[in-house]
Amino acid sequence: MTNLRPTIRKATSLLRHLNSPHRAHSTSVSADELSHFSSLANSWWDPMGPSRVLHLMNPLRHDFIASCLFDSLPPPRASAPETSTPVNNLRYLDVGCGGGIFAESLARTIPTNANSPSQTVTQAASITAIDPTSALIKIARDHARMDPKVEAHLRDGKFTYKNCTLEDIVASQRETPEDEKFDIVTLFEVLEHVDSNAASSPLAFLTNCLRVLRPGGWLVGSTIARTFPSFLVNQVIAEAPWPIGVVPRGTHEWSKFVNPDELYAWAQEGLMRSQDGASLRAGGDALQGMRWKCSGVMYFPGIGWKLVPGSENWGNYFWAIRKGL
Amino acid sequence: MRPFTRSALRPYVCPSCRSGRLVGRRRFGSKPDQAPDVYDVVCVGGGPAGLGLLAALRASPLTSKLRVALIETQDLQKARAWSLDSQHFSNRVSSLTPSSVSFLKKIGAWEHLDTDRAQEYQEMQVWDGETDSRITFDWSADTSPFENLPTVATMTENANLVRGLLSRIAASGDENISIFSNTTVSSIENGTDHPDGPDLSAWPVLSLAPNGTAQSQLPTRIAARLLVGADGINSPVRRFADIATEGWDYNRHGVVATLSLADPDQVSFPIGTRTAYQRFLPSLGGPVALLPLPNNHATLVWSTTVENAAYLKSLSPKAFIAMVNAAFRLSMTDLKYMMRMERPANSASDYEDLHESELTWRLQHTPQASQVPPMVNGVQEGSVASFPLRFRHASTYISPRVALVGDAAHVIHPLAGQGLNLGMGDVASLSKTIEYAVDHGMDIGDILSLEKYTAERWAVNAKIGGVCDMLHKLYNVPGHGPVAWGRSLGLEIIDRLPFVKGFLMKNAEG
Ligand SMILES: Cc1cc2nc3c(=O)[nH]c(=O)nc-3n(C[C@H](O)[C@H](O)[C@H](O)COP(=O)(O)OP(=O)(O)OC[C@H]3O[C@@H](n4cnc5c(N)ncnc54)[C@H](O)[C@@H]3O)c2cc1C
Ligand SMILES: C[S@@+](CC[C@H](N)C(=O)[O-])C[C@H]1O[C@@H](n2cnc3c(N)ncnc32)[C@H](O)[C@@H]1O
Repeated sequence: MTNLRPTIRKATSLLRHLNSPHRAHSTSVSADELSHFSSLANSWWDPMGPSRVLHLMNPLRHDFIASCLFDSLPPPRASAPETSTPVNNLRYLDVGCGGGIFAESLARTIPTNANSPSQTVTQAASITAIDPTSALIKIARDHARMDPKVEAHLRDGKFTYKNCTLEDIVASQRETPEDEKFDIVTLFEVLEHVDSNAASSPLAFLTNCLRVLRPGGWLVGSTIARTFPSFLVNQVIAEAPWPIGVVPRGTHEWSKFVNPDELYAWAQEGLMRSQDGASLRAGGDALQGMRWKCSGVMYFPGIGWKLVPGSENWGNYFWAIRKGL
Repeated sequence: MRPFTRSALRPYVCPSCRSGRLVGRRRFGSKPDQAPDVYDVVCVGGGPAGLGLLAALRASPLTSKLRVALIETQDLQKARAWSLDSQHFSNRVSSLTPSSVSFLKKIGAWEHLDTDRAQEYQEMQVWDGETDSRITFDWSADTSPFENLPTVATMTENANLVRGLLSRIAASGDENISIFSNTTVSSIENGTDHPDGPDLSAWPVLSLAPNGTAQSQLPTRIAARLLVGADGINSPVRRFADIATEGWDYNRHGVVATLSLADPDQVSFPIGTRTAYQRFLPSLGGPVALLPLPNNHATLVWSTTVENAAYLKSLSPKAFIAMVNAAFRLSMTDLKYMMRMERPANSASDYEDLHESELTWRLQHTPQASQVPPMVNGVQEGSVASFPLRFRHASTYISPRVALVGDAAHVIHPLAGQGLNLGMGDVASLSKTIEYAVDHGMDIGDILSLEKYTAERWAVNAKIGGVCDMLHKLYNVPGHGPVAWGRSLGLEIIDRLPFVKGFLMKNAEG
């Protein structure tokens, strides 16, 4: 069944005109990355296409988020109405949502009618999904319309797609009280696509993610470690020509991969920076109540992805940072 | 996007409705652009498989809120009201394996069955009529005599199962569920893109037609996130999804009947232990099986050629009983002879005695095998019937927004009593697949959600169907040639190999 058929990277130039990211603010977006992902847009939702590996990993993201919430649940907002039965009340931001694989699946778990009593494991009440690649946002919106339940959420505002950068969200939240920010920010397979140069760095990017997160909330992500095995697996094998390869050539640049220990250090640094005041620099107390979670995942051909704790240095891994109260 | 998603879906129109269609249009009916009523699961077919799926979905907290519909051509009210006294049994009886029973218990359906009408058996006698080599399926070797013997299978009337499932579904309440009985699916087509609403162009939309006097407020068109074909061998859903099937007809019929038995010759131990008997009759086209029912009754499944089936059905009750008793006792030559005996045109009373006296006389000259079933002494009036035996296997069980379960996906030779059990296995697997998908925000109609189901079931069903087919072919070579010799070796080898025997006994749970 698992016949992986990646399409060759193609038609990049044709699609280039589709890329019109907002560049109102200084941006972390790399032009190369944009054109690469635009070229994948057409096949994004093809279950046998180049994004199949992402599709297969998607259910584990729900499991991993559920495990974070199990460890520590963002406290109810002061503004939240009292309820006797548990309801979905978390606000999500999906950064770098691409064609919407995760965002759409999360939107599907948002109850259609507010007084529906059952609570889902990810407890989502709303989700905003952003991506700088306009072609992908279009694909995501078109696809969402193919499910009446998800489409209804697009109309009632519980689900929003925005073609914008993370920096745009930060700017728009400048006046937002801490308690009204997002409960969960997700960053799946994005960090390894962020450039390191004078204008942009993974650290700055993480810091911005933490800025839009409310205290007690989780920043959850997945990425690939920059280790020898991951080099072998992701650069040599995964991008090999068909039928071995599972992702299209040019999807990853190994030098952009991030190791768990680097990420952990950035997370701490980012937490402090995100709480810097206008005049005052945040110190070690910004780390109080912080939590760090990390779990490797491995892809077994024919079986799919499995959470394999301890394998985080081998390649793909999930990580999460809880911002202290 | 690849055209895959859409090209896999082709309009299906029920043959009798075809004439009424507007020519050259994808749709018919008056209000094509009116949005159809949207359901999460639409199940076509209210047999054991379809009702089993619905009951399973209603039983799980993850799926009990899904909006579900079931469409059945026949009148389910009759199935709900089905009732027989304790001395009468329906002739459609299936042997449920322990895994089917535990699934039915898990979904809370078993307690809705009348279990006094179900009969467990702990032992199975299978032998070759040509060579007499034998395989005994009993567990006594592995069990101490004081323990209860494990059950091989539980004989259950299909009507009892269906009524129980309906009652289980009713007990789950009437929220989010619509059962359209007495209703036929007249066409299945792709929906349309509603510019101000959802794009349903890759969703199956069904048109429903009431049969005669059905409900008044029937929605005419319903859309399915997941369309389940539980609609039997000629599955309209399978045709809509354009899923190919391989298969052939065995040119055999299964003759069924409800029988009553003389007292058992031997007292079974432990008390209450019941045995199923099956004798392969190569020269007559297949095996004859006698499976126990409560109160000293039994159900017959005799797989044989179409001509033999017609012959058996034409016999008087006495002659029919004589033939059944002969089938478990006489040599192939004697049986073939009796299968061709004259049947006087009008029922002269001495004609009944012909088969009976022939049997009595021939029995005196036949050495008796060690273990034969008790003598049959009665046949329930109107219970003799026959069904064509066929093999079908769909090339896959899924397609975008479509899944097949039960006979819609596979039809196999009944010699191991597996057909309905495979359907229960499908339903257990599909309901689990749907649960996982719901829990992880997946679209339950998406190929990515469904591929787990076909991966889990297809090979298992192919293996069991294949074993049954192989046994059928092996036991259709008459005479004492090398095949028969190999066969006798075969049964004895099976008897010695716990693995193969276990496979046959437990009927491969997966
Ligand atoms: C002689 C014989 C003996 C057998 N013995 C055994 C046994 O011992 N053990 C065992 O496990 N199995 C046995 N089987 C097999 C078993 O009976 C079948 O596998 C089982 O009944 C299949 O159930 P199902 O729900 O998949 O299909 P079905 O019972 O065929 O149900 C399909 C339903 O779909 C409905 N339908 C069809 N088209 C439409 C439409 N367009 N619109 C609405 N509704 C529609 C039909 O009315 C029907 O009710 C035996 C079979 C035979 C022939
Ligand atoms: C591998 S895809 C992952 C998509 C999605 N998160 C998923 O897993 O299904 C990476 C995505 O990151 C986006 N991206 C790249 N650089 C980005 C940046 N600097 N800021 C936000 N998104 C970016 C790309 O447009 C692309 O959609």
